[in-house]
Order: sequence, then C-alpha cells, then structure tokens
Amino acid sequence: MSGEEEENAAELKIGDEFLKAKCLMNCEVSLILQHKYEQLQQTSDDPMNQVSQVFEKSLQYVKRFSRYKNPDAVRQVREILARYQLAEFELCVLGNLCPETVEEAIAMVPSIKTRGRAQDDDAIEKMLTDLSLIKKFE
Amino acid sequence: MFFHIVLERNMQLHPRYFGRNLRDNLVSKLMKDVEGTCSGRHGFVVAVTGIENVGKGLIRDGTGFVTFPVKYQCVVFRPFKGEILEAVVTMVNKMGFFAEAGPVQIFVSNHLIPDDMEFQSGDIPNYTTSDGSVKIQKDSEVRLKIIGTRVDATEIFCIGTIKDDFLGVINDPTAI
Repeated sequence: MSGEEEENAAELKIGDEFLKAKCLMNCEVSLILQHKYEQLQQTSDDPMNQVSQVFEKSLQYVKRFSRYKNPDAVRQVREILARYQLAEFELCVLGNLCPETVEEAIAMVPSIKTRGRAQDDDAIEKMLTDLSLIKKFE
Repeated sequence: MFFHIVLERNMQLHPRYFGRNLRDNLVSKLMKDVEGTCSGRHGFVVAVTGIENVGKGLIRDGTGFVTFPVKYQCVVFRPFKGEILEAVVTMVNKMGFFAEAGPVQIFVSNHLIPDDMEFQSGDIPNYTTSDGSVKIQKDSEVRLKIIGTRVDATEIFCIGTIKDDFLGVINDPTAI
C-alpha cells in the first residue's frame, strides 16, 4: 500500500490487500453474522452478552440495510454482477446501494467509467434492470 | 465496506490448555482476543469465520507458554475515503450530525450539508429544507460519502459529506 494519502475508493485505490480480498455485500454479511449468532444462541443463554459491541452494531446495521433478504436472491445478485467484469469492491457498492439510474450508478461507482473498460451506458442500464428484477421477484 | 480476509496472529497458550482440546481452546481464545478489535490497517474485526491453519508451536524459554502462529478467516469492516455508504443518524446538533455505519462513527459537518438545509433546535434537533420537504433527525437513514478517516489505536473515525449528487436522506419517502 502506498500510504494513507493515496487512498480513494472512487478511483479504486483501496490498497492491494483489500483489492484482492473478497468483498462482502451487506446482505451477505447479514447471513454470516446471523448464522454465527444462532450458533451462539444454542451454546449459551445470553448470546448478546457473548458478542462484542462491534459484532452487535454490525449485525444491526446489515439487517437494516440489506437489500435482499433471501439467500437465493443474494447469490443471484452476485452472479449477475459478476458478468460485468467489475472489481469486487465495485460489485459490492452496487449490490449495497442498488442505484436506479445509470447516472446514479456512475456517481456511486465512478471507477466504472474511468478504468477504460468497455462499460457503456447500455451495459450499465442492463445490469441495473437485471438487479431490479431480482428485487421484484424475491 | 465489509471484507472477508485472512489474517495471521501469534497466539500464546498456557500449558494448562494442552491436551486433546488444544485446538478448540486456541480457537475460542482467538475469537475472544480479536473479535471487536480495530486496527488502522484492517479495520474492525467483526467475526472470525474459520481457521485456515495452525502452525507448529514454539515453546517459550523459561515460561512454558507455547506460541502458535494461527491463520484465520474473518469478516472485517474497513471504511475507505471516497466510499459511498448508508448510515443511521445518531445525533444532530448545530455543528452538524453524527451517523453510524456498523461499528464506525461518521461526522458530517454543517458545511457539508446542502446549503438549503437549516438547523432547527428544539426537542428533536434537525436539519430541514426551507420548504420542509426533507428532514434529517435522529434515526434518519442517510446515504453519505466518506471524505476523510482518522485512525486511532482502537477506533476509526470518519468525516462524511452529503453535499453531492445522489447523497442525502433515503428513508424519507418525500426525498429524491
């Protein structure tokens, strides 16, 4: 990583380590944490006492901001977005924020346009319609 | 943004835990030690999800403690400058407002709130547009952009803005 100053998610400068790492959408995190919480519930009477504040806050946050609740839909979202040669980070921002228009998508993920990929407006439009369809049929 | 990453840690284990449950003891100690911690580099460690491998233990001279290098997978939350995310407003005052996105606190100064929103004091302090159509108060959901991060030993603190296109209140049906 080339120093804190260079960091800028809009240009996808998030450090090599995180660029290669697997990003998680809020809905995926929600499934993971919920699962862990249920495991804890089975082994102790008062699971909320067992978990850290960070865990508790994260769980509340992802529950509140999950766009997709059912595990199948979550998987589909990732499959659809994976077709568009997005970086992991871009994929997750789109999955989290679910922009409705092409302009909104570009404002949320400016790196879609700047990285010189053949991501034209039509492709983005198609991607957003596919996403909204999942939401509708969930 | 949440990430799933592999981290490594040297775990010191007291000899009383040696036995057939050594691995279980090691894992539960690891969870107790790292979950909920925060580092500037990796962000908040939310939950350990699995163990990749446990290396060979090394006996410490003189103490009998053994150090095991443990590689583990975990979910971390790491905010980035330039990232856009959704957050819940926790406090509003005349300087601006605080919001929370999972474990991280974000402050949005009143200079970074659109100029047409005015601070209203009272029982429920809030920022409201002149026509009253958009309101930011405690528990509002906002979409904001992180423009700065400050890393402490045990906390990451962020500065955000809602003064840009497609940012602002999202749970208010009259907005956007």
